[in-house]
Amino acid sequence: MSSTTTPKVIAIILLLIAISAFTGMANDRFFAPANLENLLQRTSLFGLLGIGAAFVIITGGIDLSIGSVVGLSATALPWMLTEVGLPIPVALLIVLAGSALIGLIHGLLITRFSLQPFVVTLCGLLIYRGLGRQLVLDQTQSFGQEFDGLRTLSIGRPFAIAGVQISTPSLILLGVALLSGLVLSRTVYGRALFALGRNPEAARFAGLPVKRLTAAAYVGCSTLAGLGGVLFALDINSIQPVSMGSFYELYAIAAAVLGGCSLRGGEGSILGVVVGAAVMRVLYNSIVLLGIPSQLEFAIVGGVLLIGALFDEAFRRFVDARRLSRSRRAAPPAPSAP
Amino acid sequence: MAVVSNCVDPFWNVCAAGARAKADELGIEVEVVFPDGSAQDQKQKLEDLRIRGVDGIAVSALDASGLNDVLNAIAAEMPLITQDSDAPGSDRVCFIGVDNYAAGRVVGKLVKEACPDGGKVAIFIGRLEQQNSRDRRQGVIDELLDRDFDSSRFDEVGSVPKGGKYEVIGTLVDNSDQSQAKASAEDTLTAHPDLACMVGLFAYNPPNCLEAARSAGKLGEVKIVGFDEDDVTLEGIEAGTIYATVSQNPYEYGSESVRVLNALCDGDKSVIPAGGVITVPSEAVRKDNVVAFRKALEERRQGDQ
Repeated sequence: MSSTTTPKVIAIILLLIAISAFTGMANDRFFAPANLENLLQRTSLFGLLGIGAAFVIITGGIDLSIGSVVGLSATALPWMLTEVGLPIPVALLIVLAGSALIGLIHGLLITRFSLQPFVVTLCGLLIYRGLGRQLVLDQTQSFGQEFDGLRTLSIGRPFAIAGVQISTPSLILLGVALLSGLVLSRTVYGRALFALGRNPEAARFAGLPVKRLTAAAYVGCSTLAGLGGVLFALDINSIQPVSMGSFYELYAIAAAVLGGCSLRGGEGSILGVVVGAAVMRVLYNSIVLLGIPSQLEFAIVGGVLLIGALFDEAFRRFVDARRLSRSRRAAPPAPSAP
Repeated sequence: MAVVSNCVDPFWNVCAAGARAKADELGIEVEVVFPDGSAQDQKQKLEDLRIRGVDGIAVSALDASGLNDVLNAIAAEMPLITQDSDAPGSDRVCFIGVDNYAAGRVVGKLVKEACPDGGKVAIFIGRLEQQNSRDRRQGVIDELLDRDFDSSRFDEVGSVPKGGKYEVIGTLVDNSDQSQAKASAEDTLTAHPDLACMVGLFAYNPPNCLEAARSAGKLGEVKIVGFDEDDVTLEGIEAGTIYATVSQNPYEYGSESVRVLNALCDGDKSVIPAGGVITVPSEAVRKDNVVAFRKALEERRQGDQ
């Protein structure tokens, strides 16, 4: 976590606490174990997408195809298992490898053909949605009753902490988040990714493999979207190819930006992204728990996100100002101008 | 009590009005929740309502079987009924709705009235995943082809069922995207200048068919038969630009849902008929009864304000 993102992460954690406390005071069932379990599960699923988006955003890019990749993989998995009859490991491998391939194609189009990420992934958004729908002719997909073992990957709850059962996707998120965090903060690749996002020209002159790094970020993003699609599909067991995952790229981008990623690139923290995803899910949950009319849903989510962005900016300025005054005090007085 | 819709549409506002009027009459509280049309969002909202602890839920299931886990979890804690679109394999206590296959056959009869000489018919529909929309479409096709009553039949979307005087040239699915619905209607008119009748089976389809016919300069020439009671549809019937529509009476869905849930909460199981299905009759609206129908609808909506 760089020094510029730390205040942002603290700000988003404070926002999460504030929304939770407010909702909990209005309806104490918010803190019921069953509700916390639901929220953990949803945050885990959307958090995976957010982490993927963060990788791309850190390079200064964007991925608008996340929701369609979720839809395609969520459609393809049950189709391969129930219609084609492929063994589970093969079907999973095809979905994840296929998602990675999608990311690779994005990466190559962006780095080798110099197409803009927005354009490439916007086309992806349309293409994968169309392919998913054509694959099953818009028929709703489900796993039936035979794949309960596989479904534990998403709905399984292996253990509990303080009466709150932890689902498998939460463990997957934890693993992915730790790994991503380590890669970003402790490896050459991670530091190079930040450097590239801050200044691609400088990164190239410094001899960093800019093209490969960028492509790798897109591969990571699409693979996580594919994994998310698998888990969403197993969780909900009712996949409508036309609507599954639509808008999820915006939730992922919102989580990443809330969590401290700058759309200009070069900034971001994994912890922040996961908390950002949690803020989004808690907001939707509060709207139902507080009995706020459905019509206001988007307005409230948008409003809170805006407040979050403003609060974040104010907090950052406050921290900067303190840092500045502290360093002024520590440094010898500057020579005064004649 | 909570009534959960399957998307956002004026249809559900009428349902909400019925639910609120009944709740006022019984002196209870009801909330109407509108998911965005995806099963994921409906599942989340149902889970959240269960946590919040309402006394009973009436839901229009977005998937006939896939949501059974969450539905059964709710049914274990409180009375759960389905309305509009059923989930027959779940533990729901009963289903309230029209028989969509029968309602589709009524639409087919209206097409026959509108185009007694036969011809090409195109069907416009929002989605085909839900059982209710599949049944509704099949009812139209079976009636036009004079087949016997069998709601389990299903003509593939790409097929061109033909029989007697009528030919169903296609079913255009717009995925509840209104601009796509209008484009489909326009393109069909372009591709088939001799189209006799457009059948719009989701609430917003008839208005889109009407717009397409207007811009193609074919008002009155191509007949339109609709479904549900969108204001534009009713105005069209009054003006004579739309032949007729079939109302499935969403007001009754809302009102009946609240009545049945309230009785179930009081431990009164006598409201549930054998078979667990409460059928709400559908109603054909033509030029001769549209004024009275609109007036009644308007009064009900105002009762909600």
